[in-house]
Amino acid sequence: MAKDGSAGFVPTRLDYAVKWAQKNSLWPMPFGTSCCGIELMSTLSGTYDISRFGAEVVRFSPRQADLLLVAGTITTKMSPVLRQIYDQMLEPKWVIAMGACSSSGGIFNTYSVLQGIDEIMPVDIYIPGCPPIPEGLLFGIMRLQEIVEKGLPRPNMHKLTREEARDAMSYRRAIGENLFEAEKLDATMPLTTKTGEP
Amino acid sequence: MSQAAPQIKELEDQLHAYLEQSFPQHRMERDKNGDLIIWVERHEFLSMAERCRQDAKIRMDRLSDLTAYDNLDKKDGPERFVLVYQLYSMSQHTRLRIKMRINENESVPTLVPLWRAANWLEREVFDMFGIRFENHPDLRRILMDERFEGFPLRKEYDLQDRQPFPDTLPVRIAGYNPRLADPEDQNP
Repeated sequence: MAKDGSAGFVPTRLDYAVKWAQKNSLWPMPFGTSCCGIELMSTLSGTYDISRFGAEVVRFSPRQADLLLVAGTITTKMSPVLRQIYDQMLEPKWVIAMGACSSSGGIFNTYSVLQGIDEIMPVDIYIPGCPPIPEGLLFGIMRLQEIVEKGLPRPNMHKLTREEARDAMSYRRAIGENLFEAEKLDATMPLTTKTGEP
Repeated sequence: MSQAAPQIKELEDQLHAYLEQSFPQHRMERDKNGDLIIWVERHEFLSMAERCRQDAKIRMDRLSDLTAYDNLDKKDGPERFVLVYQLYSMSQHTRLRIKMRINENESVPTLVPLWRAANWLEREVFDMFGIRFENHPDLRRILMDERFEGFPLRKEYDLQDRQPFPDTLPVRIAGYNPRLADPEDQNP
């Protein structure tokens, strides 16, 4: 709109406009499981103000989110849940691993903790720290904006399929086939319903 | 740690005297904070716990924690595990710690009828150490997946031996163990 009320226009390329819109509206789905979640909340607050970068609209429904912010330790028992949330998000989607635990397992090299979420999903940005300061998260988001805007090659561009993630979760490729057999068995069980069947 | 308030310390000393008089055959200790520790044998354990719950002079009305440790180095006797019961009296603000040595295949009487808090705590001890509790109403794993093999806080369990499962279904639906389904694992 021009000042006198007549409709003006800005000539632009559609892909440029789309990228501009995407990078300035990275709606996060927070997956805060421990102390990194507190830093994430702090980043959302007025002091650090993540909304300067268009990422303040926190969506607790993965279907409305563009950015999965994994902040905290992911146990092996939680990893299928996280993978399901990733699968529910619509394209285009990005993933930030915030903190040492979600990047690499952190100090928890134990019997119950997943050693980095990149075992079950592709990750765009790793933010180091235990926990990272809010500025670190902001820097990560700005770096992600750069990736979105310039179309930089994303790390781990090979997207894990659901089956590959299952293999990764069970740490053995051979188990994958057994899982599918188990799924066939499940169809006969009364507690699971398949689509198209009563 | 800070010292207990004088009145509580007095109550603790009274309790110590009373316990020594009531249970003369048991070994009693005070830790560096002045808390009472009493070592009990397995066959006397249930009557002792009942006494601690119901005796008006002891009246431990809260089971604040129940845990165990793997006595693999035999520091605390020849038995394999030591169970630790942390009791607290909300009326007198005194604490009592009951320790019991048990062997690997021994089971322990449950304390759920005395303290309802024992239900989940005993499940946790079962999950981590494999110690079975007799007559427990619902002795299942509480933290680890139901398909998990082994007991992770036993010293022989490899620290980094992760057993991830591809779903979070309860075992009545999933009904299989991927580890057992893997032929390589069965012939190590």
